[in-house]
Amino acid sequence: MSYAVEMRRITKRFGPVTALDDVSLAVIPGTIHAIVGENGAGKSTLVKALYGAHRPDSGEIVIRGHAVTIANSAQALALNIGMVSQHYGIIGELSVLDNLTLGAEGGPFPDRHAARRRAESLAARLGTTLDWDAPAHRLSAAAAQRLEILKLLWRDAKIMILDEPTAMLSPADSDRLFESLRTLVAEGTTILLVTHRLPEVMAHCQRVTVLRQGRLTGDFPVSETDPDQLTEAIIGRRPIDAAARAVGETVQTVFDHGPNSAPIRLRVTDLALRGTGARAKLAPTNLSLPAGEVIGIAGVDGSGQAELFQALLGVAPHTGRLEWNGADISATSTRERLALGFRIIAEDRLAQAVVPDWSVLENAVLGLHRHPAYQRQGWIRPAPKRDWARRVADQYQARYASVDAPMSSLSGGNQQRVVVARATESDPQLILAFQPSRGLDLGAIQAVYTRFLELAAAGSTVLVVSFDLEELQRYCHRAFVMYDGQLAEAPDLRSETLGAMMLGQGFAPRAASPEVAA
Amino acid sequence: MTELLTVVLNLTTPLVLAAIAGYLSERAGVINIALEGKMLAAACTAGLVGMRAGPIAAVIAAMLVAAALSLAHVALTQRLRIDQVVSGMALNAVAAGGTNFLFSRLSDQDRSGRIPALPNAVFWTLAVVVPIALSVYVQRSRAGIHLIAAGSDAEKARLAGLHPLRIRTVALIGTGLLTGLAGAFLVADTGVFTDNMTAGRGYIALAALILGGWRILPATLSCIVLGLLTSLGLLLQGTKINGGTVPSEFWTALPYLATVLALAGFLGRNRTPTGLGKV
Amino acid sequence: MIARIGWIIGAVLLIVGLLLAGGVDPAAAATKLVQSSLGTPRAIAGTLEQTTPLLIAAVGVFIALRAGLFNIGIEGQFLVGALAATQLALAFPTGAGAVAALLGGGIAGAAWAWPAGAIRAYRNGHEVISTIMLNSVALALTDYLVAGPLRDPAKGTAATFDLDPAARLPQLWAGPGYGISASLILAVVLVIATHLWRIRRVAGYELDLVGANPTAAPQMGVRVAPVQVVAMMASGAIGGLAGAVQVLAFEGRFYQGISPGYGFDALGIALLAGPSTLVLIPVSLLFGALAKGSVALQLIGVTKGFVTVIAGIFILIAAIVRVRREATHD
Repeated sequence: MSYAVEMRRITKRFGPVTALDDVSLAVIPGTIHAIVGENGAGKSTLVKALYGAHRPDSGEIVIRGHAVTIANSAQALALNIGMVSQHYGIIGELSVLDNLTLGAEGGPFPDRHAARRRAESLAARLGTTLDWDAPAHRLSAAAAQRLEILKLLWRDAKIMILDEPTAMLSPADSDRLFESLRTLVAEGTTILLVTHRLPEVMAHCQRVTVLRQGRLTGDFPVSETDPDQLTEAIIGRRPIDAAARAVGETVQTVFDHGPNSAPIRLRVTDLALRGTGARAKLAPTNLSLPAGEVIGIAGVDGSGQAELFQALLGVAPHTGRLEWNGADISATSTRERLALGFRIIAEDRLAQAVVPDWSVLENAVLGLHRHPAYQRQGWIRPAPKRDWARRVADQYQARYASVDAPMSSLSGGNQQRVVVARATESDPQLILAFQPSRGLDLGAIQAVYTRFLELAAAGSTVLVVSFDLEELQRYCHRAFVMYDGQLAEAPDLRSETLGAMMLGQGFAPRAASPEVAA
Repeated sequence: MTELLTVVLNLTTPLVLAAIAGYLSERAGVINIALEGKMLAAACTAGLVGMRAGPIAAVIAAMLVAAALSLAHVALTQRLRIDQVVSGMALNAVAAGGTNFLFSRLSDQDRSGRIPALPNAVFWTLAVVVPIALSVYVQRSRAGIHLIAAGSDAEKARLAGLHPLRIRTVALIGTGLLTGLAGAFLVADTGVFTDNMTAGRGYIALAALILGGWRILPATLSCIVLGLLTSLGLLLQGTKINGGTVPSEFWTALPYLATVLALAGFLGRNRTPTGLGKV
Repeated sequence: MIARIGWIIGAVLLIVGLLLAGGVDPAAAATKLVQSSLGTPRAIAGTLEQTTPLLIAAVGVFIALRAGLFNIGIEGQFLVGALAATQLALAFPTGAGAVAALLGGGIAGAAWAWPAGAIRAYRNGHEVISTIMLNSVALALTDYLVAGPLRDPAKGTAATFDLDPAARLPQLWAGPGYGISASLILAVVLVIATHLWRIRRVAGYELDLVGANPTAAPQMGVRVAPVQVVAMMASGAIGGLAGAVQVLAFEGRFYQGISPGYGFDALGIALLAGPSTLVLIPVSLLFGALAKGSVALQLIGVTKGFVTVIAGIFILIAAIVRVRREATHD
């Protein structure tokens, strides 16, 4: 049998990192083929190689029986391969119809009436229609998604790559999408679906390829597999106990930890973001954080973790009630929350946590610059500031020339050490740590979490978002899982439990989003 | 009455041409506060060439010089990646200073009388034809769609297989040619080149573009309204209204005040192209 | 480094080429420029006089730039500040009146800058456009006032009454027919105060943070919008102060065309000076010398505009070099 797409023994390195290691994939024509895996497993890299956005270092791509080289997206389009990326390519200022035809208008003076007729017939194939003359920025996420697929049809794509197509859709809209995809498949289109949602795979796909850390860890016909088997292939089994022993005594106390009787530090009631569309990213959330714990938040990236942190810190305008040691702090500013001992290790280091042009010294007091230790009545105190900067830089052995050197002269990992130390060493009451281990080596990771545990033992609360289950299992007293903007506490820290929750098990489906957002 | 019409046409023509020039640039994503400098350089060129080589050569040379400045603008903002505001200011400075210096050095001291130039009606016609034609062209053509795509999001345009740099270069050449016409008209209208003779018209054109929400026909309409207001100001100078006079400076300031209000969102929503100023 | 020297050589060649195109001997022009701006005590005093308003105005531009804003509106803030100061000093012809005039000039400048800051912070309208527009409004307004209600009818040109000497800023040192104004001290103190404010005050640190990383600032408890408004108003206040100083120290009255384009020169100075406050002083001296020398250059046929060309080229070269340095960081 001839496959629609074959990728044979593809390897792709980015510098020292091997993103894809000897991965093969074969897609039967007229099927929906799922590619699943955790963040960073290599899913996107694989499909981008097929779309000509990355050149593989080795390996072979065969389309309909012919070996091909795909150097750029134009060549992919010429082979009738099209891709809808996670972030849509729709230009809001153009009309829906102009977006549909952009780059493939077929002449210097496109005939809009003819284009519209063809657009209508393509849309009819999907069982939908769009307001072709409306500016595209008025489209809802679901309608934008359909427009993206219509763009592929417009270009006669026979092989469609959809990268996380349901990430921004409500369940009802997702169902409609899959209905359309089934129609296309029935007409002979082949679809590659990158997703992290196992229910989608089980319900709509014929075959599934699993990647973990750039390697192929599973390739099954969907009819012959089940979510447990897939979860295992996605997450893998790890020697958790051995790793935990390596960390030493502190961690042992974690595992011996019984039910917490400590008082509640932060009580959050009905926390939700303010503003149109914001509620889709974070459902009204309730949360009680006791003193003296390191608490993990598992979940695939983009499930609302960043929004939760921004609301807790008071950066994102929010509704709902926050009580800190019993006092209502719902209306307080970020500055006031920092003064209460809130500390953030932000998601995006360059955009949110450092000023690359500034010295290590100035970066060390970012967010602490109003702390009484470093200023008095608005006058900066240079000497304590300098001592502090040294302490911050040395806490996790960051390598730096001097505290007066620009932050940008430090490697990413060393910058991260400074950012983490800035939070852990400044008498934190509540640390909001978003992937604190990013860019750190194993030794530093261990040092950071050990410090978290020490701080917890001294009465602080640490809330950690991590995409690495192993980290959460090793170092957290308990964990929550976020899925689709919702938060739920995990009954235990077993991989099976967390993995299933991360993929949506036990979460209620959310209400459909309105068709057209104003 | 014909006199009033002539005044309005003469005031409006350079504004319309410059506003359309600004449209091309800003729609392609390049903030253009250098309309003023490009017009001024064109006017100076039209003066210098016109007194030696006649009116047609004057217009062509003016358009070429302004187009060359526009290409320099592309190089500065797209290649060397200088901030678009800084490069625009610097171009204005070089144009203002350079014309002041070169005209005083190179103008033919002996000659007197008007610099030969094409009749105003030629420019009036262009100021009517260009916006209408361009408006139709932008709406009907592939190039028009690509212009707007490149200006709203260069990266997405690239994903769709377009070449934003090429689109911007062509658009800015268009900007240059049109500001060239506008500058040449100023010399044709007055028969002389004088220092800083654009007198802020480039900024008024920019104001009209903003008031028109970065759309061709509304921007043109804004130019006409601003031209009318200015001529009204000229006509009403010294006349009493309800026992007091409205100072001419009020009419001068009105377009600028209106633009500030437009930016503040008091005159409809802010329609700034999303990709404006981004590389 | 070599690329940087290359750009500077290119700039010099461009300037020389322009002089040759205009039929001027570049060596003669250079000699004349240095001679007339630095050659005699009188020349130096003249250069310092030119430098003073430029330096103050440049501090204004600089403060906005540190917060990530282009205040192209210094020209307008200068004009309203100058006229407000003139009126105050005419109303109170005393030393206290002079102080009130300085303050009033600053307040007028701040008020004139407020719309630009607020539109940027709360309406997302580009401050460059709004400040350019406000410049034209300020010009029309002051032109009208000085030609009409505030005009001294005894004068042949549109100008206000002359200030009482008591309400003017004193000379620091007076030579035969020239002197050095106390306002120079004011300007230098302003630079040093700004420098100290930036490195020693928490508010200065927060202003720099908003300019350096506006997406990180909210994480650090610093709200961007109010800082932008305050920075724009502070910038405008200093622009207005520059206008007040120009009237109180040098002109003694307000007249149409009192600013030969200080706003633009100040922008050039601030862009050239880069991130360091103190560097404003030498760069302002350079621009002051060019301004002083430009008068003498006219004798050999180099018009005033030529200095503007040089400023424009300086700004471009500084911008190119800075972008390249940032690019090599990555």
